[in-house]
Amino acid sequence: MSDTTILSIENLHVKVADEGLAILKGVDLTLPGGEVHAVMGPNGSGKSTLAKVLTGHPGYEVVAGTVVFDGRDLLELEPNERACAGIFLAFQYPVEIPGVSIANFLRTAMQSRLVEGEELDLFDFQDLLLDRMNLLDMDVSFAERPVNDGFSGGEKKRNEILQMAVLKPRLALMDETDSGLDIDALKVVAHGVNTLRCEDPTMSVLLITHYQRMLDYIRPDVVHVMVDGRIVRSGGPDVAVRLEEEGYAMLREADARTVVQM
Amino acid sequence: MPKNEVIERLDLDRYKYDFRTEDMPVFRTEPGLSEDVVRAISRYKEEPDWMLEFRLKAYGLYMKKPMPEWGADLSQLGDVLDQIYYYVRPQDRMKHSWQDVPDNIKDTFQKLGIPEAEQKVLAGVGAQYESEMVYHSLKKEWESKGVIFDSIEDGLKKHPELFRDHFATVVPPADNKFAALNSAVWSGGSFVYIPKGVHLETPLQAYFRVNQERMGQFERTLIIADEGSRAHYIEGCTAPVYSTESFHSGVIEIVVAKDARFRYTTIQNWSRNMYNLVTQRALVRDGATMEWLDGNLGSKATMKYPSCYLVGEGAHGSILSIAYASNGQHQDTGGKVVHAAPRTTSTIVSKSISRGTGRASYRGLCKVYEGSTASRSNVECDALLINETARTDTYPYIEIGERSANVGHEATVSKIGEEQLFYLMSRGMSEDEAMAMIVRGFIEPIAKELPLEYAVELNRLIELEMEGSVG
Amino acid sequence: MVEVVADRVAPEQKKSGALDRGVVERLAGDDPEWLATRRMQALRIYEATPMPSTQLEEWRYTDLSRKLCLDKLHSPVAEALPDDPQAWPERLRSTMAEDHDAVGHLVLVDGSVVHTNIGAHLSSRGVVLTSLRRAATEHPTLLEKYLATQAIPPEDGKLQALNAMLWTDGVLLYVPPGVRLEHPVRVTRWYSETGAAFFSRTLIVADSASKLAYVDEALSDDFDQETLTSQAVEVFASDGAHVQYVSAQRIGRGAFCHAAQRILLGRDATLDMLNVSLGASTTRVDLNARLLGSGADSNLLGLYFGDGDQHFDHNTSQDHIAPAARSDLLYKGALDDSSRAVFRGVIRVAEGAQQTDAYQTNRNLILSDNARADALPKLEIHADDVKCSHGATVGQLDEESLFYLMSRGLTRAQAERLVVVGFLGMVLQRLPLGGVVEKVTRVIEEKLRLGAHA
Repeated sequence: MSDTTILSIENLHVKVADEGLAILKGVDLTLPGGEVHAVMGPNGSGKSTLAKVLTGHPGYEVVAGTVVFDGRDLLELEPNERACAGIFLAFQYPVEIPGVSIANFLRTAMQSRLVEGEELDLFDFQDLLLDRMNLLDMDVSFAERPVNDGFSGGEKKRNEILQMAVLKPRLALMDETDSGLDIDALKVVAHGVNTLRCEDPTMSVLLITHYQRMLDYIRPDVVHVMVDGRIVRSGGPDVAVRLEEEGYAMLREADARTVVQM
Repeated sequence: MPKNEVIERLDLDRYKYDFRTEDMPVFRTEPGLSEDVVRAISRYKEEPDWMLEFRLKAYGLYMKKPMPEWGADLSQLGDVLDQIYYYVRPQDRMKHSWQDVPDNIKDTFQKLGIPEAEQKVLAGVGAQYESEMVYHSLKKEWESKGVIFDSIEDGLKKHPELFRDHFATVVPPADNKFAALNSAVWSGGSFVYIPKGVHLETPLQAYFRVNQERMGQFERTLIIADEGSRAHYIEGCTAPVYSTESFHSGVIEIVVAKDARFRYTTIQNWSRNMYNLVTQRALVRDGATMEWLDGNLGSKATMKYPSCYLVGEGAHGSILSIAYASNGQHQDTGGKVVHAAPRTTSTIVSKSISRGTGRASYRGLCKVYEGSTASRSNVECDALLINETARTDTYPYIEIGERSANVGHEATVSKIGEEQLFYLMSRGMSEDEAMAMIVRGFIEPIAKELPLEYAVELNRLIELEMEGSVG
Repeated sequence: MVEVVADRVAPEQKKSGALDRGVVERLAGDDPEWLATRRMQALRIYEATPMPSTQLEEWRYTDLSRKLCLDKLHSPVAEALPDDPQAWPERLRSTMAEDHDAVGHLVLVDGSVVHTNIGAHLSSRGVVLTSLRRAATEHPTLLEKYLATQAIPPEDGKLQALNAMLWTDGVLLYVPPGVRLEHPVRVTRWYSETGAAFFSRTLIVADSASKLAYVDEALSDDFDQETLTSQAVEVFASDGAHVQYVSAQRIGRGAFCHAAQRILLGRDATLDMLNVSLGASTTRVDLNARLLGSGADSNLLGLYFGDGDQHFDHNTSQDHIAPAARSDLLYKGALDDSSRAVFRGVIRVAEGAQQTDAYQTNRNLILSDNARADALPKLEIHADDVKCSHGATVGQLDEESLFYLMSRGLTRAQAERLVVVGFLGMVLQRLPLGGVVEKVTRVIEEKLRLGAHA
């Protein structure tokens, strides 16, 4: 493992908690700091599960394998501890929290990153929030709306990007952030991510997507292809292009053979 | 045409079961209730001593318990109970072939279409006339698989152990005043046993008829659905219209064993001089499902709340009910679900229609005991009011002692909207067709569950009450 | 202005106990004759009325025989405090300090009014804010007409009769026709005497086309003996009047807190009402909104948060007497530890009350294994051209929501608190009273912080 590696996943096996169903069947993935990696794969391949497991979702159980994030055993940590350590998941389906304003939510999230006894300076926080909303061309009134409650699909995704901009993670996991978005909304999201990367080139991104489309706007350094709970191929951006042209079906056949041969 | 005329023309209220048969019972007790009457019933049925003791004890409880002060207006019921016949035996013994049933009684059931339905679509039929089952028959193929479908009296005689193990365990006499009364004077009803793993493909049907004036009918049904079995039981009820009130108070007990599935359908269309106070309850064990489908169309006053006691893990209870309350009727109906085990689920869907001076009340209980983790219950009640003198009430009780339970109750009240009527009429429908269509649409979620294709009789009842002469 | 109330019961009375005839006679001795007669009449009704038992539908879930022992209570004996904030307890002072805009203040300590003020520009226009005890002599016509007559007469029930015979003081707010108060009137109550029974009344008369807002806050430290606070709140919203009524109850443990509230709404009158129940060991609120004039509109909001072994029983009714009126009720609560909440609500639509719009919603969050919620939302509808619905839910915190918040770095406790505040706070969004909403939000957050979910 090089010194710059931010995330290192080895032989990760995961099943649905309370059930026997295995979803990840030995995932290996190394992400050097500052890089953008994409994980592509057909529906049901386990790519969204990977994002949730990295965030600590209680619905999944790690059966075997290790995940090291920034030198720490990630699997030991609670979801909030992972967040404070610098992991951020942009949800595929952001949850509605009625009655809780975005500003109040983010203030509490920022407060939770401080050491005990230290109080968040509310003026500093206001300044930060305004700055981040400016950066993303968002209207100030957005922060007073309840978290995702009554939001359109596009608004929910913008809210995820705003949170990312405020919380400034070291590793952003983007779980099918492109799904259900029209091209304009997609550009807004990509613009947000790219802007944050310009600001902090050490931020790493793991993009989980079904389509090549997203990768036109956020250029990945490496593309991993996931099929049936395993990464079956990794390579440069051209892998994504070929996938788009040839489809997953062919790949599945080819990889089925590969897997058997191994 | 003014709306009221339309409603009259809909003919929702015509009661087509108002025919009576002149007949002479072979035995009946004197009007009114006494310990002697209780003893006479037991003696006449040649019961074992324990049953006589059970009856007498229940009689004592009945006399002690006060008349309920909630629900339907029972202030006149005391007089009725003093005057009715508690036991009327219409023929000497129960028959297993229609040929043997006396003509006057057979005619009655023929007019109701029972023998016809039996041939076509039923696994078995029981017919009760006044206080006794006069006919009971089960198709051979089911009999050979060990299914028992008999009168309750024969259940006691032929299967004394199975009977005694379950009788009055689901509805004890002390449960309520009328359960106590039924326990004291019960007569007639079915005894059903579905063996392990047997799936009855067509329903069993019991038909209850009160013919005589000032009659009290107290049938008692005990059903045991053994592990993994499946069955559907249908009961129908009618009576002729007399100027004096009659009284019906049944007790239905059902044990649904592990992984079994049982459905009990009632289409109650008593004449509108009938007090109908019934206790129906099912004990539902692990992974089992109990479904009550309850249609209350007739009677003067009905108080009936089918219940599911979900005592086994993963048990499911479902209660679907329709109530129709017209002039002078009060349907106080609903359902009870008691969650007493983890991962139990229940749904109650209740639809009521009130018109004229009718009153439909939903009364329900959803109780989740602590420890019934991850249990869910959902209750929906919708009331439709057809004119300004109609009345509807909703009385749900929700008692939740478990943190991980999720329980929801929703109710709405609406009337037939002018906009809806106009919309349909603008498409060419007459006003009565439009109204019938809206009523049909309103009850559709429940009506579609009725076994219409099986039970010709039930189909006719629903058509008559809900759709009238049009549609 | 200083009001020292002189007619306090002498300390030696404490031993003899009692909320008996003697206390009533002593109180009546200081009353004008018409009032004394009514007090004695209330006593007769009290004596003739049995204590409600759980056999009664309305008291099915709150067992008074176990929760309220009247024999152990005594009339308050402590000396009245002066009208000097320096002499007031610290918590009362700090609550006053975080005040929002108000056009008038009134402070009650242990059931007696110790301070009132109302803007001079309002009193010159006929607005009255005063101690009810003073009003008995200064505004007898108003009181004779409205006090314990049309709204909450002693015939209403045992506890209502008890209040009518034993009340010592309270609040009168009168707003003349067409006068519109630009800010709320603020009432703050402080209770300190343990083992006492406090009886007070609030009478609010909003004359036609007037507008008022009234915010009533009650607080105390915990009591080491059972203590009773009893309030009868009568609100008259005449034709076209707009009344906003907020009550925030933060009384200490050991108290049984009963409030009977009835609001009569005339034609086109509007009511926005919020009951916040956070304190006391047992809280029982009997709320009745009577829509007597067509076009009347009432928004009835409620919030409760229980911890420890707190017991809340909210008993509400929306009576649609006149046609074309609207009422909308939303009560939400969260229950922690072994607390328990009962919500019993009924919408009654009288014959002839066509074009009624009536809604009722109760939502509960259960936060602990031992908490419990009972909901009995009822409808009684005697008219057909109505829009009525009700809903009730009981559920727990949604795990997906908690995970979402935790994935942003919140601890589980922070996430839970945020979701609970959001859940309860949505009720406040319906209350068009800016400063008050902020204040109530602070009060809820404070209780959540102090509770087990901090």
